[in-house]
Amino acid sequence: MVSFLVEPLQVALTLLLAPGLVGLVRLLKARLQGRRGAPVRQPYRELVKLFGKERVVSRNASWIFHATPFVVLGTTLVVALLVPLLAAPLPLDGVGDLVVVAYLLLLGTFFLALAGLDPGSAFGGMGASREMTIAALAEPTLALAIFALAVGAGSTNLGRIVARTLSDPVETLGPGHVMAFAALAIVMIAECGRLPVDNPATHLELTMIHEAMLLEYSGPHLALLEWAGHMKFFLFLALISNLAFPWGVAVRPGPVALAIAVLALAVKVVLLAVGLAFLETQVAKLRLFRVPELLAVSFLLALLAVTTSFLVR
Amino acid sequence: MSADLYTRLATLASSLVLLSGIAILWRHSLQAYIASFARQSLLFVMAILIVAVGEKDPRLYGMALMVFALKVVFIPRVLRRVQRHVGAEMEIHPYVNTPVSLALAGVLTLLAYAVAQPVVALSEAPTRGGIPLALAVVFVGLLILVSRRSALTQIVGFLVLENGIALLAVLVTSGVPLIVELGVFLDVLLGFLVMQVFVSRIRETFDTIDVDRLRGLRH
Repeated sequence: MVSFLVEPLQVALTLLLAPGLVGLVRLLKARLQGRRGAPVRQPYRELVKLFGKERVVSRNASWIFHATPFVVLGTTLVVALLVPLLAAPLPLDGVGDLVVVAYLLLLGTFFLALAGLDPGSAFGGMGASREMTIAALAEPTLALAIFALAVGAGSTNLGRIVARTLSDPVETLGPGHVMAFAALAIVMIAECGRLPVDNPATHLELTMIHEAMLLEYSGPHLALLEWAGHMKFFLFLALISNLAFPWGVAVRPGPVALAIAVLALAVKVVLLAVGLAFLETQVAKLRLFRVPELLAVSFLLALLAVTTSFLVR
Repeated sequence: MSADLYTRLATLASSLVLLSGIAILWRHSLQAYIASFARQSLLFVMAILIVAVGEKDPRLYGMALMVFALKVVFIPRVLRRVQRHVGAEMEIHPYVNTPVSLALAGVLTLLAYAVAQPVVALSEAPTRGGIPLALAVVFVGLLILVSRRSALTQIVGFLVLENGIALLAVLVTSGVPLIVELGVFLDVLLGFLVMQVFVSRIRETFDTIDVDRLRGLRH
């Protein structure tokens, strides 16, 4: 019985904690840069404010523009059901594996790009084209990194990969494992639109990617998209931390084990967020034409991860 | 240290040495090249220490110390001085651009795996997982040597190549006899000193260290 409660708990956690995590990263960055920064609860306030606002839609917008916020939110919520945030063999593990998770996230990105093109604004088209360039370069990396992890575990099932890492801790020191995670981390930065690929804090026309696609949205629709973006960020961080350091994940779900799992997840995600805040304070945004070089590095890392874990046993 | 952990750590250290070599292909400034080389040498020292602990071989500690003094401290310091002297900051317009260089590095690594297969199959050493990676470091060093224009970058490429050969020796045989090691070290040191004098000379004669411009010598 308890095991089925895990799924709603995961979704609730993702929905509630994701804006807080984004607020935390923003606050940490502000402090590191010598500013006071907005409080952690600021993203929640923004969401509440947006939900109360009027919706303005371009006359040229088609059904895609209206459907996109729900598609993006829906795919993200399904991913929250499939990713082992709290327990290792999830009840819905049979529904989808790592490949399904990766492509559900890409489906959201795809619809977002379509919605950017749909109203015919210049910025939306520019953002969509940039986003697709980056997604097209990040996707093979993601697939290869997934493959490297799957070869180690003998399965693409996320629960199996986590269970295998738990049973063989020395494996995490193998080069395949380490490089696959470095590649995944770069893909995460590119997919979530963080620095050095995209600056989430500005609406500067020369540099923005993600914000350019959302420019035409307003009111509740914008709130849904922002929320989904926060959740995607949270899920990526949680996925990477649980695949790399699965300790704390409940193997046999009970009330105590789940409480420990929630705590462990919070600690791991916050640690990763602190690391990310430090990184984002250190680096400047890459010129758009150097982004493919960064993604080539991550592709190379993923390729090496596959060769080392596949060719040498 | 358990045998499994030893094997994994040795392979991990070799792959990190390879990655810091590949980092050179990604960067653009000469300072970053020198820093990457120093980092690679430090990781190489780590690899030697891991093998030293794993094989319980005291000679390897001495070798680690020598490599540290020569390649982490001395050579980067001299390189920085030469770089300040010639004043060249960036590697502009390499023969092969960055994404293609990175893709080539990937292909070369696969090639190294293919070439090293028989050696790995024959070897009984617990560190055999790192052999293809060390070979890939040699290839990447060669790639840096042939694909970059600046004479200083080519020196870095040569040093990376040498790191790869030394790493290969450590992984395959847990270190060659000390006298051979000393000979190789003096060779590298002397070659390096001659090259850095050459760079200064090229700079004084041609006002650049872009080796493409040396074609003028033919006429």
